[in-house]
Amino acid sequence: MGHGVHTQELPGIGTRYDIDAGGQGQRVSVVVRRDGKRDLYVFTGASADPDAVLELTEAHARKIAAVLGGTFFEG
Amino acid sequence: MHDELLRIGALILIAGLLARGARRVGLPTVPCYMLAGILLGPGTPGPTLIEHPESLELFATLGLVLLLFHLGVEFPVEQVLGSGRRLFLAAACYIGLNVGAGFGFGLLLGWGLPEALVLAGALGISSSAIATKLLIELRRLTNAETPVILGIIVIEDLFLAFYLALLQPVLSDAGTPAEVATGIGTGFVFLLLLFALARYGARAVGALIGSREDELLAVLMVGLVALMAGLSSGMGVSDAIGALMIGLVVSRTSVRERVERLVLPLRDVFAAVFFVTFGLTIDVAGLAEVALPVAAAVLVTIATNSAAGLIAGRLYGFNQRAAANIGLTVLGRGEFSLILATLAMGAGLDPRIGSFVALYVLVLAVLSPLLASQSRHLARLIPDRLLTGGWRYVRGETMSTACTHLDRIDPDVRADTLACPACAEDGIDDWVQLRLCLTCGHVGCCDDSPGRHATAHFEATGHPVMESLAPGEDWRYCFVDRTLVREPLGRGPAHHGTG
Repeated sequence: MGHGVHTQELPGIGTRYDIDAGGQGQRVSVVVRRDGKRDLYVFTGASADPDAVLELTEAHARKIAAVLGGTFFEG
Repeated sequence: MHDELLRIGALILIAGLLARGARRVGLPTVPCYMLAGILLGPGTPGPTLIEHPESLELFATLGLVLLLFHLGVEFPVEQVLGSGRRLFLAAACYIGLNVGAGFGFGLLLGWGLPEALVLAGALGISSSAIATKLLIELRRLTNAETPVILGIIVIEDLFLAFYLALLQPVLSDAGTPAEVATGIGTGFVFLLLLFALARYGARAVGALIGSREDELLAVLMVGLVALMAGLSSGMGVSDAIGALMIGLVVSRTSVRERVERLVLPLRDVFAAVFFVTFGLTIDVAGLAEVALPVAAAVLVTIATNSAAGLIAGRLYGFNQRAAANIGLTVLGRGEFSLILATLAMGAGLDPRIGSFVALYVLVLAVLSPLLASQSRHLARLIPDRLLTGGWRYVRGETMSTACTHLDRIDPDVRADTLACPACAEDGIDDWVQLRLCLTCGHVGCCDDSPGRHATAHFEATGHPVMESLAPGEDWRYCFVDRTLVREPLGRGPAHHGTG
């Protein structure tokens, strides 16, 4: 993966991606489970405990990715 | 027939509903299936749905076989072999301590040597499913210790294969030591054959079952698994290990991912029947009889798990919180313990094993999520000298490797001073501890010192990661991510001169 993204295998669960989101403790970790579910960990500061965790289905993850990526135009 | 269907249906539905209720409060499913079996079985006063547990035996065996087949299919061979010496050492300590304690406990109970050998595994081998679900639910997937926990579980599964192979001849009624030795020999030769099949014959097996249609793949897969399990059973190796090995063979074929997906719902249903059936055979009066030994066994398990967590924490240079998390997350016992108890009962060993393991699994099912979620309290009790890092300030903190700045670390960086140069320039020397910048080697004083020169250096240069130079400490902190960091697992320990 490119700069600022760290990948790690989690045996029996899936793959974890740590993504730098602009520093000051702001970062996002995504765990792509083998059954397709995604866990989205959001960190905004001082602690190694996440500020929010979302468990997303594949469909939800796609929707969010489309909006974040700017490919979703419908009103 | 309609009566039988009605009873089985009601039993499975109740078991499922019980498990669903338990999941709402974060308890594992496996003990709930078993509990449904106990409550509605012939050994408990009140309504009895199934009078003869044997009538479900074929379904239950299929459940056991599919459980182990799935374990084999999803076994990450490459990852385990590439995971390095430290993980094997940590796992060996975990297995050694827990299985050893289980064996010792079994001997102390005085039910006999075969019984003690079964209890060694039933008390020593943790439930992969329970630990994995706990990590997801407790939101610990990004913690530094999580890959270590998952690695230990995977190596435990590998151990299970050899343990089952060793146990089978002890269980089968071989009398003389020579017969036992022959049994063990036959078992291992058969295992080696299956290993050879996994190594060289995977392509042929893949061609045999690898239909493009999911329907046919599922049918062929179940046929192959049942056949191999039966064959192993006939060879004097248990059906469980045959299923595990054929799973390993399939894991090396191109249809692995599809098989994994297809087998999962089948496994879940038939495994639930297996757990329910195990519950049906339990006599509730027998549970009271083993209550005291079970309480002692639970305490022993908590102690050996915590000790193993400490050892793993020490090996990886973790802090107290991470070490406590390792010990208390791998505490759950479930599918493997029940499989071993079933094998023991099938072999006609002391029937108290059934009640003992049932109660043990039930107690730990409630305790393990509870203790795992409260691990920070155990962390505060662990003295510093048991761990290498000297984590005085950060004992109860969660550790994370989710730092995206590890690429800014220069592995050759060394400290070249034993004082804070910036403080010396100002003519003061009342700094408390020193910090080393891992990008350029700058040494500055910590945030408890009046100068706070390490933080000032980060603010001036943006160099993200520093290491403590305090004697006996080697923790690292990322200023940008504001998190304690360790090097990614799989690399060797850091070699930094600490002054």
